[in-house]
Amino acid sequence: MRKHLAFVLALAMIMSLAAVPAYAAEEEKVLNLASESDILTMDVALTTDDYFIPHNVFDRLFEIKVQEDGSTEIVPSLVADYSVSDDGLTYTFQLVEGVTFSNGNPLTASDVKYTFEHLLTVPGACNYDIAQEVVGAQALLDGEAEELEGIAVEDDYNFTLTLEAANAGYLAELTSPAMSIIDQETVESVEGFGMEPADTIGSGPYVVSEWVPNDHFTLTRNENYWGEAPDADVVIMNVVPDANTQNLMFQSGELDIIDLDALDASIIDSVYKTTYADSIVPGYRVGVTFMSMNENNEFLSDVNVRKAVQMAIDRQSLLDNFYGGDGIIQNGMIATGVWGHNEDLEPIVYDPEGAKALLAEAGYEEGEISFEFSLDSSSGDTTSMVYQQIAQDLAAVGINVDIESYDESAWLDFRRTEEMPAFLGTWTMDYNDPANILGTFFSNSTSGRSLNYANQEIKDRVDAASSIMDDDERMAEYQAIEHAIVVEDAAVVPLYERAHLFCIGEKVESFVPHWAGFSNFFVRDVEMK
Amino acid sequence: MALFKSKKDVLSADLASQIGESEGMGVRLRRMARKNKLAVASAVFLVLLVLAAVFVPVLSPYDAVNGDASTRLQAPSAAHWLGTDEMGRDVLTRLLYGARISLAVGVVPTMISMIIGVALGVIAGYAGGKTDYIIMRLADVMLAFPSLLLAMVIMYTLGDGVMNIFLALALVGWASVARVARSETISLKETEYVQAAKSIGVKPGRIIRRHILPNCLPALIVLFTLNIPSAILSESSLSFLGVGIKLPNSSWGLMVNMGRQFLYNAPWISLAPSAAIMLVVLSCNFLGDGLRDALDPHLNNE
Amino acid sequence: MSTLKSVIRRILSSIPVLIGVVLVIYLILRILPGNAILTMMGEHAREEVVQQISAELGLDKPWYVQFWVYITGLFTGDMGTSIKYHKPVSELIAAYFPVTIKLSVLAALVAWVIGILCGVISAMRKDRLADRLGMGFSLLGISVPVFMTAMVLQYLLAYKLKWFPIQGTKEGLICYVLPAVALGWSSAGSVARLTRSTLLEVMQSDYIDTARAKGRSVSGAVVFHALRNAMIPVITVMAIQISSLLSGAVITETIFSLPGIGRLCIDAISGRDVPLLQGSVIFATALVIAGNLVADCLYSVLDPRIRKEG
Repeated sequence: MRKHLAFVLALAMIMSLAAVPAYAAEEEKVLNLASESDILTMDVALTTDDYFIPHNVFDRLFEIKVQEDGSTEIVPSLVADYSVSDDGLTYTFQLVEGVTFSNGNPLTASDVKYTFEHLLTVPGACNYDIAQEVVGAQALLDGEAEELEGIAVEDDYNFTLTLEAANAGYLAELTSPAMSIIDQETVESVEGFGMEPADTIGSGPYVVSEWVPNDHFTLTRNENYWGEAPDADVVIMNVVPDANTQNLMFQSGELDIIDLDALDASIIDSVYKTTYADSIVPGYRVGVTFMSMNENNEFLSDVNVRKAVQMAIDRQSLLDNFYGGDGIIQNGMIATGVWGHNEDLEPIVYDPEGAKALLAEAGYEEGEISFEFSLDSSSGDTTSMVYQQIAQDLAAVGINVDIESYDESAWLDFRRTEEMPAFLGTWTMDYNDPANILGTFFSNSTSGRSLNYANQEIKDRVDAASSIMDDDERMAEYQAIEHAIVVEDAAVVPLYERAHLFCIGEKVESFVPHWAGFSNFFVRDVEMK
Repeated sequence: MALFKSKKDVLSADLASQIGESEGMGVRLRRMARKNKLAVASAVFLVLLVLAAVFVPVLSPYDAVNGDASTRLQAPSAAHWLGTDEMGRDVLTRLLYGARISLAVGVVPTMISMIIGVALGVIAGYAGGKTDYIIMRLADVMLAFPSLLLAMVIMYTLGDGVMNIFLALALVGWASVARVARSETISLKETEYVQAAKSIGVKPGRIIRRHILPNCLPALIVLFTLNIPSAILSESSLSFLGVGIKLPNSSWGLMVNMGRQFLYNAPWISLAPSAAIMLVVLSCNFLGDGLRDALDPHLNNE
Repeated sequence: MSTLKSVIRRILSSIPVLIGVVLVIYLILRILPGNAILTMMGEHAREEVVQQISAELGLDKPWYVQFWVYITGLFTGDMGTSIKYHKPVSELIAAYFPVTIKLSVLAALVAWVIGILCGVISAMRKDRLADRLGMGFSLLGISVPVFMTAMVLQYLLAYKLKWFPIQGTKEGLICYVLPAVALGWSSAGSVARLTRSTLLEVMQSDYIDTARAKGRSVSGAVVFHALRNAMIPVITVMAIQISSLLSGAVITETIFSLPGIGRLCIDAISGRDVPLLQGSVIFATALVIAGNLVADCLYSVLDPRIRKEG
């Protein structure tokens, strides 16, 4: 026993030594952040979620810039000059000269071409929608071609890109994180690009210096960066799965910016809107939260039932009670802040009596209608509360919904079968164009979303709209389509666009959130004290 | 792998001869009731809790599922003795409704695992040889898994729901019961009266029913009371990790889990069910100890 | 010589158990619904891609083909490739398990210290207030859910008093103290009970009387003689606790953001990453088996009675 005691004492001493903060002398500006889950890869071709590294370590041909008034604008980034042919098919680009990757390699037109090819051909590729629009992409995907026909490299800095079909929103699509330009030489020389910090070579403001899986990764400033240097020298992204823990860390100064999304409104109210009222930075989400209604479902196939569901949900009270009122009620799918948003869309009125009457008129008895309401258990506690409240609202008009929860992959798998009767979804825009959301959910190429939107005429119109080259005309068409989907067909219940709140700590002077409210923001938009 | 085997064999033989001959269970229980006040208090508490859970629709003016979201997270008051939760529901009401599921989760899987465990354990112990080897290796396999991990994997396979929790916890729990039942059986098999019964040609089924099972009973009752709390705790851990009871139903584990993000601004939501779990687990342990002292004086070493 | 033989025999007998573990977990996981590919690629993934990747990973083959590939791979240390992380499972486990080992060893230490202290105090003050308090404290540990203890400790000692880091492993061993205390306390109860009852038994035996006769105080006698004997069953109980420590590690690792095997399992489950889940559960179970083996051997070395029988 004495030996054991000695061991315990020794251990206690070691621990008290270790308690002295390891980082005493620091002159660097270190930005501490936290994320609920670790990234899986640093190669954007393999993920549609892990955008922090692509945003901060890589550059794109174009970027989106947030204006003073909150509106957004597409601005050239790696591109010095460009022109579009009259038929909207051919784009001629000239790259900014003198841009180098962090390893010193110059960024050239052939790297751009290689980026498109990598997106299409790397094993496990899943982020190639935008590259796929280029002529010859299908041949490359099918293994019938060696290189991408639609991109013609003239010299190091000039190239042309030809699309399969005209797409007025293509420049907007090029701002997507998926279109991050990679270094051909590096990617070709390593096996499994995107797994090792040393191989993750971009032209962006930061380089990845360390990655300890499920613990943290560290970005340090790219000394060769061609643009304006960012303010923070070092960025540490801590992986902290528990939102409470993040909350405690921020309050004790261990985090410099906290993403308030995972915290309950009551905590934001009682802690952040009081103690840190001046440090809250509201961001846009630029995306709508909606309730889906599968038109293959026995009851939901009836437009009267869908309209009754729309009327039975008290959207304002959901937003007020569970999200502290931080957001805007949406009556359509093209959310506030998205190009083409329609301020004058007919409002969906909360009217439980009207819903009851509508159901009675359509010949349903009270309690006759019931369907499953499927919850992705990884989507957070607040979401599950909203599910319960919606179930309660619907029960009040005689519709029984049964909340069934699945873990993330089972949920996605179920939805993919097209059989999921109803769910809550939030679609944050990948690029600022209505085509992004309408094309994903209501076009002929929509698959695996469990919506089964049946209106063939509208689906055809969604597909045709992207080739209308006149912007005003195109937006008018999208608004007409939106009206048909939400008002006439009542295909979904648009709920709200939630604000995305962040809170900054004492070390941060200012912070501009990502234009679409991504949690994976641009660190260059953070200014430190 | 068979820890304590030899020691328990010795003890159990001793125990069996004692129980076989000495005073009945009723007498022992009554004596315990006089001596062990803590065990009695625990039993009373558990009975009251069951009654409250059964009669909560009469006792409480509130609904367990539907709340008023505009009155969420209110502190304990005269109207809501334990405050309201994240959906504006009365915590006390939900606690008592939750007791139904939590107590069921304590009792039902434990019962199933007792039945499976005793059946397999007695068969293994009585038959010996290859049967014994196979059953006990299977038990070794089940016991080797960290129980929560195995339950988690099973729950993910089956999906959420009360029935699935019953099944998962029963599958995880039977092996330890089988071990005890086996060693009891082996020692009872060697006793004179069983040997005598065997020699006059009584069938094995009858011997097991008449002589072995009744004599295993005291040890099994004690094991039963002690396994209930671990089932309740397992359910709360599963709920914490996001698998288990379906919303908007409640179990204590689920309540703690939903309330944990309010630990710092509305602590009553998670502390009330935590306290309930703690009290039930303590009561079961005290009661189990009391029963052990009364029924099975030689087992109180472990 | 006979000790060595019995040790070898025990090691050999644990091999079928390990094979059984692999089989059981494999069969359970075959029924598992869900698609790992979808989770890996996220909300925006498209159908054709999903199918193409399933074929590349061999997930479209029948289960027995996959099982054969797995079992044969296991013998060469190949546990397959994680779908989620695109890395060999063995490599991931190697990177994550030191955290769990550190946490479990510290937690066992905590359980031991609390358990033995409470046990000794209770035994020496049998039926008095100290006895009740000692047993009460250790019993409370069993009764409070681990995550509650962990969250309260985190709030009070790390956040309010700032004695410990709130989460992570960046500051070294000190990061493990709170998780280990939360975890250890929940295992202390059984150690305390065992210590108490063994001590009571030993204290009534002859050689305590002898010690007393030699003029030593009773408490001195307890510490020097009784406790050493009492250690034998306590060691084995600790071995049994390995399983529950690993169970609890899943929870504490989540609350304190420690990158250990428990987190890996949760990651694997929520991502339907079957190779990773299989690998990490089998590994955790192998740890339990190894722990029991060591305890078994220790037991047979320390206690001559068992050796003779074994």
